[in-house]
Formats: sequence, structure tokens, C-alpha cells
Amino acid sequence: MTGTLVETEDRRQYKATRRRGLTVDLSMTLATILAALAIGFLVMLLTGNDPVGAYEAMLTGPLERSFRVGRWLEDATTLTLLGLSVAIPFRARQISLGAESQLYAGALAAAAVAVFLPLPPVVAVIVPLVAAAAAGAGMGLVPGAMKARLGANEIVATLMLNAIVVRVYDYLVNGPLKEPGSSAVHSKSIQQDSALTPLSDWFGIPLGRANVGLLLMVFTAVALWLLITRTPLGYRIRMTGSNPEFAEYGGIRVPRVIEWSFVIGGAVAGLAGAHLVQGVYGRLEPGLAGSLAFEGIVVALLARNNPLVVVVAGLFYSYLRAGGDIMEQQTDVGTEIVVVIQAVIVLLVTAQALPDLLKRRLARREVAGR
Amino acid sequence: MSAVLDVVLSSAFLAAVLRVSTPYLLAAFGGLVAERAGVSNIALEGQMLSAACTGALVAGYSGSVALGALCGVGVATLLGLLLAALRLELGADVIIAGIGLNLLASGGTAYAVFTLLDDKGGTSGLKSGSLPAVPLPGIDSIPLLGDVISGQNMVTWLAFLTAPVIAWLFYRARFGFHLRAVGEMPDAAASVGIPVRRVQYTGLALSGALAGLAGVFLSMGYVSFFVRDMTAGRGFIALAAVFLGGLRPWGVFLAALGFGAAEALAVQLGTLDVPPQLVSTIPYAMTLVALAVYAWRRRRQAGVEVAASV
Repeated sequence: MTGTLVETEDRRQYKATRRRGLTVDLSMTLATILAALAIGFLVMLLTGNDPVGAYEAMLTGPLERSFRVGRWLEDATTLTLLGLSVAIPFRARQISLGAESQLYAGALAAAAVAVFLPLPPVVAVIVPLVAAAAAGAGMGLVPGAMKARLGANEIVATLMLNAIVVRVYDYLVNGPLKEPGSSAVHSKSIQQDSALTPLSDWFGIPLGRANVGLLLMVFTAVALWLLITRTPLGYRIRMTGSNPEFAEYGGIRVPRVIEWSFVIGGAVAGLAGAHLVQGVYGRLEPGLAGSLAFEGIVVALLARNNPLVVVVAGLFYSYLRAGGDIMEQQTDVGTEIVVVIQAVIVLLVTAQALPDLLKRRLARREVAGR
Repeated sequence: MSAVLDVVLSSAFLAAVLRVSTPYLLAAFGGLVAERAGVSNIALEGQMLSAACTGALVAGYSGSVALGALCGVGVATLLGLLLAALRLELGADVIIAGIGLNLLASGGTAYAVFTLLDDKGGTSGLKSGSLPAVPLPGIDSIPLLGDVISGQNMVTWLAFLTAPVIAWLFYRARFGFHLRAVGEMPDAAASVGIPVRRVQYTGLALSGALAGLAGVFLSMGYVSFFVRDMTAGRGFIALAAVFLGGLRPWGVFLAALGFGAAEALAVQLGTLDVPPQLVSTIPYAMTLVALAVYAWRRRRQAGVEVAASV
């Protein structure tokens, strides 16, 4: 009897600690965002723009019309998947910058199946998704194996792989995969059955190109959260990330875990590519991903690599992106201010000693004031 | 094949190699200095971009090319110091801070250009001029050599001069010894009285300045205007050259030159029936293989040492 009492007591305390940790995390994130927005405000003010009007357009714009909501959700789906894809290797303290190559590999695989392989309905949606995840995972395995087995620097390896895959993709879209007879550069459209169903079909309001990929994204985030927090592999990934020597000592095969973190991340980035092909564009277009792959890193950082928080961060971030475009249409302020705000968020998040420094400053001032 | 050979052996191609290599050389040396100081400078890309933008804008508004170039290099130097401060004062992860600075540069330059010129693309509407080329009287009449080296931009000359200067700095100058000691083992360096922080700040400032010169060359030598995101990943390639060159000045020199040659080749082959995108993947594929081989050899060496010590 007493045993269970102690256990429940322990459990209660443990939960309380977890809750406190979460509160601290959330308030830190919120403070970071507010500080970044404040700096954006100052920049606009100093460059002779009207920050109040700009922020009003940016922060209310995306919700004003239903198709704008659609644009936001569609963008958030891709961005969150990319954020999730780097959050996993980041958890194992592997700085993988390879989401771009994995996304393009996924997009190519999805398009190859969805354009050329006739399949029955439903299967026609799933097979390209699986192909994309597999291609992304394969692309993640290359730097993963290089790091795990040879100790090769993963930052350089992923950057090189990005450069190669982007160029090969560009070649394929401009050459062999270009739609014959079309003057614009893009591939043939995917078959009707392979398209991810637009959300407009379900809700009966125009939601642009937002599609069921959104649900896929949420499902992926929950699955990854379960993986990280509730499975042996997730435990190994966390251990490897927090202290590789200790993990090795405790019998965890660290190289294997590192490889897995790259493979899982790659598969998720591949899904992001499939979402762009099957849900957003319906075909391969040049420069499909834009700068999204790097912005996925920002999302993961902001969410401190917690898969569930990545969803929130991704939604927030895309909201800023969508709002930035509207702000540019309605005011004189360029949408680039959003990138500046993003950059400030990254710098604030990584400046770990900043809160301590501020605290010390305040304490010193208090002492001096007395 | 003979068509390819004709292209490669032409003086126009060799001159293009020198021109295209210039930003790679300067940025790679910048990356090398930072790496040897023990702080990876992922922000090379952003430093180049900021310098390119600042240079074109200042030169355009002031009418002075020299002032523009100076301000460009100055901004990149400041970004180098900012990276050092984020790392040393605020405990930031240097890779993530570098990514942040790159984002800041990408957004900041585009925002500045749009605010000032109301142009999304770049500063082509602003007349900013470019840094002077250096004609070599006497040499320019020598058949092949004259066409290749005469009339190159002054920054190209600076870039090629940087190699021996960096080699001298690293292995003959006191600062170079300090820099390498700090990068190798900061605690040991501190214990013999080397001012670790100051050396790292200086190293990062120098790194930023070199990247800045590379950026200034892009907007005031290569062409005479700034284009949004005109660095196009060159900073990352320079970083690869640092590793491919084995962190040694002449190795980095050869690697950067190799990247320049490959890019020039890709441009030239565009006129032939070879897909330029595929040609331009060669240096990256080479780097990837070299990275693997290098790591494998190092690991085997370490394995042998462990076995010997047991």
C-alpha cells in the first residue's frame, strides 16, 4: 500500500516538474517572439515606415478571407513537416542541414509515381507518399552513414548533397521531365487520383490549395512525438543527443542511432516534397521549395525540437509569412521584414546566456539602487 | 570531346577561371581563418551578401566606389565580430547563430533595397560603378598569358595575393601561432598567456573582412550592381573548400580554385550539348567523396594509434 502511495506521490511531483518545464518553455518562446516583433517594429520605424499599419495588416490579414486562411494552412503544412524533419536529428545533436536535398528527392519520387504510374484510387495517393518518404530517407541515409560510420562532418556533407540534388532536380525539370510542347518550364501534371484532396471539397468554402496534407502533417507530428517520448529508439535518440559518451557507455549503439535520426528526418522531409507535388502544385516546378528548407530549421529551433510544439511554431511562422505578403500589398513595407524578424528569433533563441545576463543586470541595478 | 578541350584551353576560359574563383578564394580563406580559430563561420554567405549590398548602395549614393567597397568590407567585419560576440559572450551555438546571421543578411539586404529603391530584384537602377581592372602594360601583348592575367579586377589580384599572406600569417607570424593554438586547444593556449578571446575576436573580424571583400567583388567587379541573394550559396561552397583543402592555406587555395574552374567550365559548356547543371555538380560530388575519404583515413589513423597505445 505504502509503495503505491510513494509511487503516486513521485508521479505527482514528476508531473509537476514537467508542467513547470513546459510553462517555462512556452513563456520563453513567447518572450522571444515578442522581442523579435519589437525589433521589427523599431526597424520599420527607423526606415521611415508606419509599423502600426504594417503590423495590423500582417497580423489580421491572413484571417480576413477564407482563401488566405487556405494559403496559410498550405504553407504551414510544408513548413511544419520540414521543421519536424530537422527536429529529429537535432534531438540526437546532429546538425543536419539536408532537408532541401531530402525534399527534392521526395518530390521527384512522388512525381515519378503520380505522373507515370496508373494506380487505382486511394492507392494512387498512398504509393507516391510512401515513395517520397523512402526517397527522402535514402537521401538522409547518405550523410547519416557518413557521420555515423566515418565521422564525416554532417554539416558539410548535407550542404554538398543539397547543392548536388538541387542541380540534378533543375536539370530534370528543364530537360527529361519537362512537359513536351509546353513553353513554361514544369513537368506533366499528376494524375487526378494522386492529388491530395483539397480542404475546400470538405468544408465547401474556398480554401485555396490547402489540402488533407494538413492532417497528414498533424498525424506525423503526433507520431514523432510518440516516437521521441515513448519508444526505446526515441529514448536512445534523446540520450545520444544529451550525452553521447554516456549513451555509448550505457550500451546504446550511438552510430546506429545517429543513422536512424537522419533516416527518419529524411523521410519526413520527403513527405514535405510529396505535399508540394500532390497537394500544392500538382506537378514539378523549378525551385519548388524556395527558402522553406532553411526556414524549417528556424521552426524546429523555436520549438526547441519538441514535435508537438513544432506544429504550433510552424503555424505561427507561416502566419507571419502569409501576413508579410498581405502587408506588402497593403502598405509600403516589404515582406522581407518577416525574414528579418525570423532571423532575430533565431539569434535570440540561440543566445542561451542572454536571459542569465539580463537577470544579472537587473540584480546589479537593484543592488545599486538600494 | 575536342570541343570541350578547345574550350578549356582557350585564354578566355582561363581568364574566366581566375575571375570566377575570386569570391571562392577570398571567402574560403575567411572560412579557414575562423575554422583555425576554433569558431566555424557558417555566416560567410551572409557576410558576403551584406558586403555586396552595402558596397553597391554606398557607392551608388555617394558616387565613390572606394567608399562603397570600404563600407561593404566594414559591414562584413562587424558581422564577424557579432558572430564572435554571440558565441563568446552569449554562449550561442555557432552554427545556429551563423544560420541566423545568414537569414538576417538575406532579409535585411532585400528589405533595404526595397525600402530605398522600391525594387524587388536589386540595385540595377542605381549607378554604382565597379572597382578598377588592372591592365598590365607589356604583359598584355604576350599571346596567351596577356589575355589571361592582364585586365583582371584588382580584387582578383588581392585574392591571389591572399594565399601567400595567409600562409605566412599562419606559419611565420606570431598572431598565426596564437590563432592556431587557440583553435586547437583554448585552455592550453590560455594557460601560456595567449589572450584567447582577443585572438578569436580578431580572427572572426578578419574572417568577416575577407568574406566582405568577396562580396564586394560580386557587386562591384563581377557585375556592377547588387542582385537579391546574389551570393547564391557561394559562402557554403567556400566552407566546403576549407574542409576539402584539409584546413591548410595552400590546400584551401587549390580547392577554391577547383570550384572556380568547375563553375567556369559549367558556364562555358552551356554553349555545347552538355547539361550545365550536371557539370556543375562535379565539384560538390568531389567534395562529398573527399570528405568521406578524409574522415575514413583519420578514423583509421586514430584506430591504429589506439591499438598501438594498448
